[in-house]
Amino acid sequence: MTRVTTTWTRHGTTSEALGALAAEGATGALSGERGIVYLSAGRVVHVESAFTPDLGALLTRSGAVPPDGWWDAVDRGGAQHRVGHRLVDSGRLTAGALEVCHLGALFDAAYFVLTHDTRAQRFRSGAVHWLGAVRSVPVEVVVRESGRRRALLDRIWPDPAIDTLPLARVPGTDTAELPVRRGRTLTQVDGVRTAAEIASALACRTYHTLVELRRLAADGLVRAEPPTAPPLPPGPEPRAVVWDDPDTALLRRLRDALEAL
Amino acid sequence: MPGIDESLLEAMRLPGARGACLVDWISGLALGAVGEAPGGDWEATAAETAELGRHVAESGSLAAGGIAEAGKEPPVEDLIATTGDAYHLLRFVSTPFDSTVFLHLWLGRDEGNLALARIRLAELADRLVLG
Repeated sequence: MTRVTTTWTRHGTTSEALGALAAEGATGALSGERGIVYLSAGRVVHVESAFTPDLGALLTRSGAVPPDGWWDAVDRGGAQHRVGHRLVDSGRLTAGALEVCHLGALFDAAYFVLTHDTRAQRFRSGAVHWLGAVRSVPVEVVVRESGRRRALLDRIWPDPAIDTLPLARVPGTDTAELPVRRGRTLTQVDGVRTAAEIASALACRTYHTLVELRRLAADGLVRAEPPTAPPLPPGPEPRAVVWDDPDTALLRRLRDALEAL
Repeated sequence: MPGIDESLLEAMRLPGARGACLVDWISGLALGAVGEAPGGDWEATAAETAELGRHVAESGSLAAGGIAEAGKEPPVEDLIATTGDAYHLLRFVSTPFDSTVFLHLWLGRDEGNLALARIRLAELADRLVLG
């Protein structure tokens, strides 16, 4: 049974709305401008954002789980909200690997939902994500961690334009001797792609890609391309997502994207 | 197959174990923790140890040469710090997907056995993600 809750609507930011829902022990999906936070008994169990690769993309594009295996788990476990369990039960992934990848994707998406902490748009009480229970995190930990991540980026190189604009290499710079991850990130910088697109191409979490890109900017190797006419939108183009009905629309989109690979 | 908590609890069964934590060394996030934290707070400890781990993982000298042999990232396996009364053992976890984590085990020096802990933590790290 789900209670109808409305106190979250009194709050002007997504993080405050999450705090109110956590205090009530609410279960459901809170939609914001940049993604959806799923709660179970007041704790965060999953977060999705179009700005970050989701769990399926991280697992399949890295080769950790073959696409067939992922979709088999979605087909067999999706309706019962047990996709995570299916992956582990079928031996495709250890419980630890699922948890590590899931938490990585959760905090990555939460960063984008909470860094532009605008008013939450909708709460679907009782909504459950098809992935199912993997690991839950207190709301306050997710909010605190997102703030800490924002501060870390600003300590590295205080230029938020790096996070959203197309990025270009600075000509005539020496790129030898870069750490492996940073060098790999730099190879994707082509004057066109944004940080989110680079993360997607590398099957990496977007926040972790932002860290590498800000370090590259601090080293004078990468810069944000100034917007050309017509002005670019602030941030990667959000895909046409119907956030209110992720269970079918998102799944279908993901499948199409994977099949196109 | 163990999850994060089971792996950390297993690490805590080692002689002298005081606390254990799974840390993301790029963001500084504590993904899971059990037992005492060396500084009293695992979130703060993880943010600090992550900086240390990252410097070593990205070091041109300490991390050189290992990749071609093992095909693992990062090429560094362990970091060990000793104090008058404790050992700190950091074991990097190699995953088949994008992740940047290590296990941090804090051992009391009187009861702790560093050689044994190093072997066990390596096994734990492998079992956590590879089964």
